Amino acid sequence: MQDEMPGFFPGRPGGEHDEPLLDMILERRPIPPGAPPEIHGLARMLAAVAGPAEPGDLVGQAAAQAAFTRLASRPGTSSAALRSARRSLPERPARGRLPLAVALVAAAAGLGSTAAAYAAVLPSPIQHFAHVAFGAPPPPHDLALRVSPVTSSPAPTPSELSTSAPARRQPAASSDPVSDKARSGGFHLRKGNGAGPGDAICATVQVAGQNHGLTVGHSQGPAQPSPAPNQGKPGSDQGHDGSGQAQATVPPSFPPGLLSLPATACPDGTTPVKATDAPGQ
Amino acid sequence: MIGGVFGVTLAGARDGDEAAFARIFRDLQPALLRYLRVIATDPEDVAGETWVQVVAGLRRFRGEEQDFRAWLFTIARNRAADAGRSRARRPAVPLDMTEAAQQLTTPDAADQALEAVSTQATVALIKSLPPDQAEIIMLRVVVGLDTGDVARIVGKSPGAVRVAAHRGLRRLARQVAQAGVTL
Repeated sequence: MQDEMPGFFPGRPGGEHDEPLLDMILERRPIPPGAPPEIHGLARMLAAVAGPAEPGDLVGQAAAQAAFTRLASRPGTSSAALRSARRSLPERPARGRLPLAVALVAAAAGLGSTAAAYAAVLPSPIQHFAHVAFGAPPPPHDLALRVSPVTSSPAPTPSELSTSAPARRQPAASSDPVSDKARSGGFHLRKGNGAGPGDAICATVQVAGQNHGLTVGHSQGPAQPSPAPNQGKPGSDQGHDGSGQAQATVPPSFPPGLLSLPATACPDGTTPVKATDAPGQ
Repeated sequence: MIGGVFGVTLAGARDGDEAAFARIFRDLQPALLRYLRVIATDPEDVAGETWVQVVAGLRRFRGEEQDFRAWLFTIARNRAADAGRSRARRPAVPLDMTEAAQQLTTPDAADQALEAVSTQATVALIKSLPPDQAEIIMLRVVVGLDTGDVARIVGKSPGAVRVAAHRGLRRLARQVAQAGVTL
């Protein structure tokens, strides 16, 4: 009982007055010289127990070291293996994903280019290539030549453009895919050698259903009447050079001086037209 | 105590540095064995199991040196409890509680103790205390844990730990006084 409640037995060893000394022992602090000798003896004994290792205290080090070596070198547990695994993780999928990524980028680029081609927003040479390759709209440069007479006409529509006559009139140019394509669209263009965007071009434009107006250029060969259904007056579609071929007909409302023709002639005898001279350019 | 380089040493041990692990082992193994000699009947085996578990969880440990000590001795206490349960079926050998005291109370033993009080004798003297007091004194004085860490390890409040430590020290002081040990 006196051990359990030492403070209630003043004067006996172990009273409350020794608590600071006991705390000093617990905290390994030096004991003051005036403390009881048993406190000094106890402090020295406990300090010896808490002291450095003695022979026999390190028993089991070899076993623990072996366990450490075994566990540290186990695959998947060593940090070196973990680092290696972490490094290789992003590399392995990258090798497999690279072709897929390239394919996706190529597909996206192709789709985008196609969409841009059909939207007619590509640069003129590329748009022209797209027009030739897969039927995208021609570049504005070409459209201006084709549309300009039509926009001034009250009646014609793209379906009214004749396609048969130029094909028959230009058999020698059938090997030229550009000419063929333009021809199939009812629009015949033959560019001179080295012709630039602003250079004169030889154009054969025919607007069906119009028997009055201006003939732009012509092709060599026999005269072929236009199959336009309302071609009422024979000979009225003759060109200005008197070849008797009517490739482009401008309605009476079209201003005669708007589509000016230069004096130089194309190699095949047609009259070149300045692209920049066309309306809308 | 390893001190300021404990963090570097622990990081080295985590990376597989055997020298770093050996330094940690040599610093803690003496206190571990002495602690286990007080609370366990087979301290060397329990110490070995403790280190295996420490090695297995070394990379998951986060904390300072004092935290590492508390973690290590928590593992040791649990392993000692497991070992004690596994031996519960065996016939218990009664512990001669007076053996350590006799080494100090007999005049010849006292004289010998005056000359060289061995660590083992002191551990045996502490072991003669009630188990909770002996364990708390070992954790507080020998291992160097503070009251809060000891309270968490033994599952008592800090106040109860302090009271138990004071009672154990008073009992030891009385035995020392009775033996006439004045170092």
